[in-house]
Amino acid sequence: MAAIEIRNVSKAFALDGKRSVLALSGVELTVAAGELVALIGPSGCGKSTLLHLVAALDEVSSGSILIDGEPPSVLREKHQLGIAFQEHALLPWLSVEANLALPYKIARRPTDYDHIANVIHLVGLDGFESARPRQLSGGMRQRAAIARSLCLDPKLLLLDEPFGALDAVTRHSMNLELQRIWVQKQITTMLVTHSVEEAVFLADRVVVMSGRPGRVAEVIPIPFARPRDRACTRSEAFHQLADRLTSLLEP
Amino acid sequence: MRSSSPRRFAYGAAGVLLLLAAWEFAGRSGAAGLTLPALSSVVAMYFDHRLAALLYRSATATAGSALEGLFLGVLLGSGAAFLTHLVAPLRPGLDRLAVTVNAVPAIALGPIFIVMVSRDLTPVLLATIPVFFIIYVAVTSGLRSTPTRLNEMMLTFGAAKLQRLMYVELPYAMPSFLSGVKVSVTSAMIGAIVGEWFGAPTGLGIVILNTMQNFQIPLMWAAVLVTAAISLAGYGIVSLAEVFTVRRFT
Repeated sequence: MAAIEIRNVSKAFALDGKRSVLALSGVELTVAAGELVALIGPSGCGKSTLLHLVAALDEVSSGSILIDGEPPSVLREKHQLGIAFQEHALLPWLSVEANLALPYKIARRPTDYDHIANVIHLVGLDGFESARPRQLSGGMRQRAAIARSLCLDPKLLLLDEPFGALDAVTRHSMNLELQRIWVQKQITTMLVTHSVEEAVFLADRVVVMSGRPGRVAEVIPIPFARPRDRACTRSEAFHQLADRLTSLLEP
Repeated sequence: MRSSSPRRFAYGAAGVLLLLAAWEFAGRSGAAGLTLPALSSVVAMYFDHRLAALLYRSATATAGSALEGLFLGVLLGSGAAFLTHLVAPLRPGLDRLAVTVNAVPAIALGPIFIVMVSRDLTPVLLATIPVFFIIYVAVTSGLRSTPTRLNEMMLTFGAAKLQRLMYVELPYAMPSFLSGVKVSVTSAMIGAIVGEWFGAPTGLGIVILNTMQNFQIPLMWAAVLVTAAISLAGYGIVSLAEVFTVRRFT
């Protein structure tokens, strides 16, 4: 599993010829191998920008990001990066199974249909192998997208608001499912979320970011033992942590 | 929807019949002068064996030229579009070239082609040019219509440029490409007919020109109607293909 080192990272976006806006400033963060770190913070605090930088979708303006001692693009070119966004990014003309076969084709590996069947089972989509994305509900599409990100057994999983578009009930059951999957696989994961409860429920550590320019304000370890269940979310300690994090988010 | 569909068809058919009846009436009464013959006398041309044979021969020649031009234009236009998509520095230059070629009126190019190539090929080439431009624009914009999240997804899985083209951008460009082809059908017909005016051996353009000069008005109208029918048929066929592709790729 991959370990991430983010050292003094700043990111500026050019507005026009001369002016630019600083999205991230001096961000320091390490993620240990097999750790699940959640990023929370107000809108526009640069959480997604940071995730984009780790995915090598964009380049740092200064500082460095190393994944197992190498630049992020190396991991990507080895096809060892899994990613799921708020919108599912499934190809609409392919069945669930064909969408899951896509990472194999991109990596020029023979498609392992047994493994695809396993992953489909893992996310609870048995029986929907031949369905097209538009025939699925929002929650099922997100499951399919997460399943696809797991196909090649990635070393690093990046989740950008994966359940942001779902209703509260679906979201909660997806959280339970994601934790079940994650306990089985123990993949290093960075999760961007707006929901404090989601962060506390899923993460080993919660990184609170502050905005304009984005920086790490606080890192809070979450002590609850895994697997966490519904009872955990109702405990006094859970609420105290969630309240503390919420107060940190207030300006 | 199911109940209103036949009704809409009936309204449409009634509208067409009304228009045709108005044409027949205007032609017979002579209200629109000698140049508008009654519909029946135009249709009569199709039942004259000699004239029908002439129209058939001309129509196949023109449709053939238009089809060849369409094919060439689609090939060149998509080829150029793929090239600019994969080799970004070529883009501004090819964009300008396409616009420039399209800005030159076909009428001005006709004589040049006659001198440079041949009378037979001029209709094909004049059909190719507008199709090239339309397809180039349709495919370049179609290839760029891929949603950002899908491109980012492909990138994070480590997809190379060609793989992104194959698996995502090409399917996304299909609807735009086909609506380009749809518009191109008419442009190819116009190009072929204008090309024939410069002295092709046969073709509907020649028939239209000759009948106009010899004042064979019903035959002229008959040739124009055949031209319109070919254009509409081509448009219809491509529209059908478009419906199926849009259903397949969205």
